[in-house]
Amino acid sequence: MKRRDFYMAGFGALMFFDTLTQVSFKLSSSHAGVFLPEFSWLLKVFLNPWVWGAVIGYLGSFVAWMTLLKRAPVGPAFAVSHLDVVTVLIISVAYLGEKLSALQVVGALCIMLGIVFLSLSKENKNDEQDNRQS
Amino acid sequence: MSKLALLIWALNITVDTVGHMAFKYAAIVDHKTELGRWKSMLSSFPIWIGMACFVCEFVLWLAFLSIMPLSLGILIGSINMVTIMFAGRILFKERLDRMRVLGMTLICVGVALAGGFS
Repeated sequence: MKRRDFYMAGFGALMFFDTLTQVSFKLSSSHAGVFLPEFSWLLKVFLNPWVWGAVIGYLGSFVAWMTLLKRAPVGPAFAVSHLDVVTVLIISVAYLGEKLSALQVVGALCIMLGIVFLSLSKENKNDEQDNRQS
Repeated sequence: MSKLALLIWALNITVDTVGHMAFKYAAIVDHKTELGRWKSMLSSFPIWIGMACFVCEFVLWLAFLSIMPLSLGILIGSINMVTIMFAGRILFKERLDRMRVLGMTLICVGVALAGGFS
């Protein structure tokens, strides 16, 4: 597979699974109602099929992430692994009927810009070497 | 944001950060073979702390989203990137260059604006 196609498929899969996880979390918790520190609340959550969407999303994200890291540079990969913020926001507004205030939109833009800056940071090889224990 | 939501959010971030640090502790153990590395990782105490943290985080995030809109939850949950980098700096002496500091600052500002903490 060409490098570009590999990145497109890998990053696409990662964003898809991360988004699936978050949307599934929301749908299963909404089904259970407002949080109560009781076993019955947890039971309601785990009896809802969407909670398994979150589990599948976690597993899919893990596989996509580990596959991507074989070839993708860690910096941009790290950024994209958090850019599910964008897709989750779109789905929240478009399909779950949530609304964002102007201030929250500005906040979202700051967070996205912050993620981009984190991805532009150079990986320091010394970080890895310093941390290894013999 | 209600006091309960704030408490669950703070717990979630704490557990997430502790979990990531525990996994990092477990992952940096060196071994001659990859299989041996995995064996020593899985038999180490930190990896089980990490797993316990992620189980707690799973439940805490569900609880958080039951009282918060997903859009707001995902935005203010982004603060974990900052806490993890700080913890990495303190525990593993990971470097914070200008780009990282700028990125972390922007995320903090974004979380403050989105969460109405400003």
